[in-house]
Amino acid sequence: MSGAGTARAERLVSLPEAAARVRDGMVVGLSGFSYQNPPMALVREIIRRGVKDLTIVSGPTSGLETDLLVGAGCARMVVTAGVAFERVAAIAPAFRRAAERGEVRVWECDECIWHLALKAAAWGMPWVLWRGGVATSIPELNPDIVEIEEAGMRYLRIPPIAPDIVLLHAAEADAYGNVRLPRQAYLGRSFAERALALACRGEVIVSVERLVPNDEVVETPERTLLRGALVAEVPWGSHPGGTNGRSLPDLPHYAEYVEAGEARRRGDPVGYQRYLERTVFGAEHHDDYVRTVGLERLERLRLTEAP
Amino acid sequence: MTPKRETTREVAQTLACVLARELRDGEIVAFGLHAELMLAAALLAQRLHAPNLVIRHGLRIERGAEIGPPAWTDRRDSRAHETVEYWEAHDAILDVANPRSPQRFCDVFLIGGLQIDREGSTNLIGIRGVDGRMKVRGPGSIGTTSIGTLARHVVLFSSDHTPRRFVETVDYVSVPGWRRRAAAGLPGGPALCLTPLAVLDFQDGAMRLRSVHAHTTADAVRRRTGFPLGAGDAPVTPAPTPAERRALEIVDPFDRLSGLDLRWEEGDA
Repeated sequence: MSGAGTARAERLVSLPEAAARVRDGMVVGLSGFSYQNPPMALVREIIRRGVKDLTIVSGPTSGLETDLLVGAGCARMVVTAGVAFERVAAIAPAFRRAAERGEVRVWECDECIWHLALKAAAWGMPWVLWRGGVATSIPELNPDIVEIEEAGMRYLRIPPIAPDIVLLHAAEADAYGNVRLPRQAYLGRSFAERALALACRGEVIVSVERLVPNDEVVETPERTLLRGALVAEVPWGSHPGGTNGRSLPDLPHYAEYVEAGEARRRGDPVGYQRYLERTVFGAEHHDDYVRTVGLERLERLRLTEAP
Repeated sequence: MTPKRETTREVAQTLACVLARELRDGEIVAFGLHAELMLAAALLAQRLHAPNLVIRHGLRIERGAEIGPPAWTDRRDSRAHETVEYWEAHDAILDVANPRSPQRFCDVFLIGGLQIDREGSTNLIGIRGVDGRMKVRGPGSIGTTSIGTLARHVVLFSSDHTPRRFVETVDYVSVPGWRRRAAAGLPGGPALCLTPLAVLDFQDGAMRLRSVHAHTTADAVRRRTGFPLGAGDAPVTPAPTPAERRALEIVDPFDRLSGLDLRWEEGDA
């Protein structure tokens, strides 16, 4: 029998506790690949808290997690290869508006260069060299990316980017911070979760659809994607995005959001303000959000797990 | 079926066949999540002349039989598209970016842009205003820059054909075309450009008209391109052959190609 002083520490946090760790001016890494796995409940909680001047490292191609933080005025810089809603909007509306008005700076990159900046941080390197991106506008638009010549070849010198904190959403985790891939992934084995977590100099916080017992984890360790995260159990925490292996994105919700965002971009802010009131400020807790959207609607997005 | 849908299907099927004929057995073809046209072309090529073509669809290597429903939707009327042999984590793209490796990301890569210019450079970053500053913020370069720079064959695609899209020089460069590549010591350049009006290719680093689709004319294509394409007539883009039509029925049994967002009419933007 182990005594109280030798028990393994659980790494569970509540959603408000998790969001409270994000402070003004931080570099915040966010999961999300297009419509999948955005940590939306965490993002809404951060907006409620009125956090300012964030640098968002999201993507590599990101979606609503980025657009909503930008739209709510929480960000001053975005490090991403793109912000778009495939088939709904070619360019995310709040990102477009803020960038065009000079309210948010964009660290211009593509998906490879985005990953390389995180790798450089994970590896502890002052920079890494990369051949993709020479002869493009990327070094011209980013003062910290320099095009150099080495042994007769041209390369981009990519600086490290280390998030202060990383927020992820995933299918499941145990109480000790082991973050798990679903049995049946979708579109890819995983996206940028590991890249962000390995580059992070602070805590990695994950909201999950479901807490699982540690016994389940040790049965299939090959499904453990990350270890050592702080875990908050937040069912439907990616909505309106989907969660790999668990749920589909709510595309009609995205269409509504884009309509409000486009109207605001053209000068009518009412719809966007209403969207924020309804989904963020009017819902004090994530449970309120779930009630606002409606469980029936959410259940229709649930994926049946593969046998 | 509406006339618009009929023409979309004819144009999409024709473009899929043009592209399929370019793909060689044993090559690796790569594209993003929503490129039905490229998937149709790859599946056609696998069926007709390139059984060992490798299809890299997003983060997956798949051997599909047909074009599936779009990703992100709950359409489950076909699962044939989910014949996935291999998938990887997103950052694995870095490990396969060397074009000389047998495990390379791809040989043929399909990309689009807010702007495409005469030498085949593309721009997803933004459009400048008269003051030279960025007036329209684009989505960002997504996955195009590095893969488009390192792939052996880049195929350009645009769902419309307007002077705003096809410009003399792009305002920002996401993927460099022929002249910019040569200046940076990069070999080659884009091979082909497919639009709802025409098939274009490159000679001496500049785009030229290769063929014009049956529903339009070379004059219309010239009028709607923001740079000179050279004088003279161009042949009509060859329609699908009977064998290609039979293969298309298998590859696209739900007629998804007729639902593509192709805009060919004058004034379409």
